[in-house]
Amino acid sequence: MKLKIDGKETQVQPGTSILGAAQAMGVLIPRYCYHPSLSVAGNCRICLVEIEGAPKLVTACSTPCAEGMSVLTTSEKVRAARRDVLEFLLINHPLDCPICDQAGECGLQDYYMEHGLHKSRFPQADKVRRHKRRDVGKYLVLDNERCILCTRCVRFCEEVTKTGELCVRERGDRSYIDLKPGSRLDNDYSLNIADICPVGAFTSADFRFKKRVWFLERTASVCAGCATGCPIEVHHRDNIVYRLMPRPEEGFPAWLCDEGRMTCKSLRAPGRPAAAFCEEGNLKPAAGLRFAASRLGKLKPEQVAIFGSPFMSLEDNLALAELAAAIGTKNFCLHFSTEPGIKDGILKNTDHSPNSRGLALIHAVYGGYTREQFSERLASGEVRFVLGRNEEVKAALAAAKTDIPSSVFSFSDEPAPGRACVLPAASHFESDCLFINYAGRLRRARAAVKAPEGVLPVWQAADRIASMLGAPIRLETRAAVLERLKAKIPELAAAPLSDDKAEFELK
Amino acid sequence: MVARMIKTKKVDNRPLTLLERLYFTEIAAGMLVTLKHFFRNLFKPSNIVTVNYPEDRIPLPGNARLRTRHRLKLRADGTPKCVACYMCQTACPAYCIDITAGEYSDGNPVEKYPVGFDIDLSRCVMCGMCVEACPEDAIAMDTGEIPGGALTRDEMFMTKRDLLRNLPGEPSLLGASNRLHNEWDGTRVKKK
Repeated sequence: MKLKIDGKETQVQPGTSILGAAQAMGVLIPRYCYHPSLSVAGNCRICLVEIEGAPKLVTACSTPCAEGMSVLTTSEKVRAARRDVLEFLLINHPLDCPICDQAGECGLQDYYMEHGLHKSRFPQADKVRRHKRRDVGKYLVLDNERCILCTRCVRFCEEVTKTGELCVRERGDRSYIDLKPGSRLDNDYSLNIADICPVGAFTSADFRFKKRVWFLERTASVCAGCATGCPIEVHHRDNIVYRLMPRPEEGFPAWLCDEGRMTCKSLRAPGRPAAAFCEEGNLKPAAGLRFAASRLGKLKPEQVAIFGSPFMSLEDNLALAELAAAIGTKNFCLHFSTEPGIKDGILKNTDHSPNSRGLALIHAVYGGYTREQFSERLASGEVRFVLGRNEEVKAALAAAKTDIPSSVFSFSDEPAPGRACVLPAASHFESDCLFINYAGRLRRARAAVKAPEGVLPVWQAADRIASMLGAPIRLETRAAVLERLKAKIPELAAAPLSDDKAEFELK
Repeated sequence: MVARMIKTKKVDNRPLTLLERLYFTEIAAGMLVTLKHFFRNLFKPSNIVTVNYPEDRIPLPGNARLRTRHRLKLRADGTPKCVACYMCQTACPAYCIDITAGEYSDGNPVEKYPVGFDIDLSRCVMCGMCVEACPEDAIAMDTGEIPGGALTRDEMFMTKRDLLRNLPGEPSLLGASNRLHNEWDGTRVKKK
């Protein structure tokens, strides 16, 4: 189907909206109520465009393209319409920009600067007053005065989460967004509402007033909250991660679950170790590694157990596997049994670990015990020292009902009582690393912030320990780790691991 | 047509006279000037033209139009007018403003206030961009104090406590958030 937009000819599939066709050409038509992942409402009227020959302007979001249509998106009539629609929307909009968290990423501000720039003809004192700062859910604050009634939030709750907590009450200029009686906005995806709200009506209670958005730096990364591995954008400044936002990527919906967004909280949790805690007291991270190595060095190889983890990256698990091989111990486990799958039909995975597929690849090459066999080995009493991730070592020792001295890598504020040595490790926000999600897709986490001084990613720590034991594994740099991954794991032999942009999927 | 005004000063380049070349007469004349000031200051100290800066300062004339040390204005109930919007911090070319925002917990509809508001005057270039940028009329540079002449860097570091101050005739009622606050404050007073 052929049509003309702003005089340029284009070809689209039948059923495409004018807005979609224009966007494909790179012509951005302003929108408030339209969202590509939600149904079309056509109530904000900012996307009005002119069709040559049509008596009136039409909404670009809800009008399908027709053969031979000639659309004008920048004509004088269209620009006047946008200006007037904006003026209508701003009539009752409060002058809250200085205290509004949306300022800087607000649709009203952006389009006002682009299309409006009019002086208000409406006295400030006559603006409609509504309920402000409403506590509507665990993560959200609602300000009804700022709302422009685009109903994106209502449609999100109806169509995406299918929980339907929100509705529009009253009619005309009295209408406002409200919770349905007896409900609260605490579904698993509620923070997406703060994202899709084009104005500052819904704001995040967690991010509220923490940082102005124009100060934030952005790093593209992936979420490690579950096996789905959603694409995220880490928003950070001065080495502090302020929030995680969904990032558009093909094959993923434009959402992010609340749980995933909160994964950055453990980074600056007060209990997270920045120094190594050993039997001898607090040590600098490097000294902690020396302590762990000296304990390992005193033991026979078969007395040492090494525990890989699906919560750690490909690099980390490879280095631990290499360390086990270098020490010469048979007591290592790179196994994790799970049944991944999207449990709620949107994003959340039944498998909470980000890298179980990646661990399975390394397990297939390096072998080692399964979890059950490993538990038996721990219970047998032969093992005298365990090296692994804090949470899992704890669980494994509890399951085997033993308390073996162990050295654990700690990524979060999870307490590690009674361990011989707690080694702080850099998380996926602090070091570049790779995961493989439940669908076999390679996921790249990129370092957004710097780890505390001396705190290394696990692969680097494993390399240091191996060198101190006199059994070097030669994984000093990340390039070396990626080379080793390619060389050792046949599935990844052709993978573009070091190319930061390239996509890869397991067969 | 604007008339050009060029001031010239004629320099007397004549050769020195014999008396001047003798040196001692000139020394004595110079010493006389010094001694004149010395005795005048000794017997009538109120006539001294210099002050012991920075301990003593000459007050600026009342009609002085210049940017002086910052202050943060207050509302009628003593809360800062500032709503921690970060406009001044964004506009500041010297990066000398550092704000920490917080949230009112007492139902104040303004919601936001500065928990901390620091200005490092040793970095400040006194450009006045912060005053221009402020949407709430909360920051002003009209205290009449010229910063500088401090003995330590810490003295030049202004915190919120140092900055909060109203001049006579205030508080002013400008600013959208201030209007919100004043309405709320009114209802609160009535309830009392």
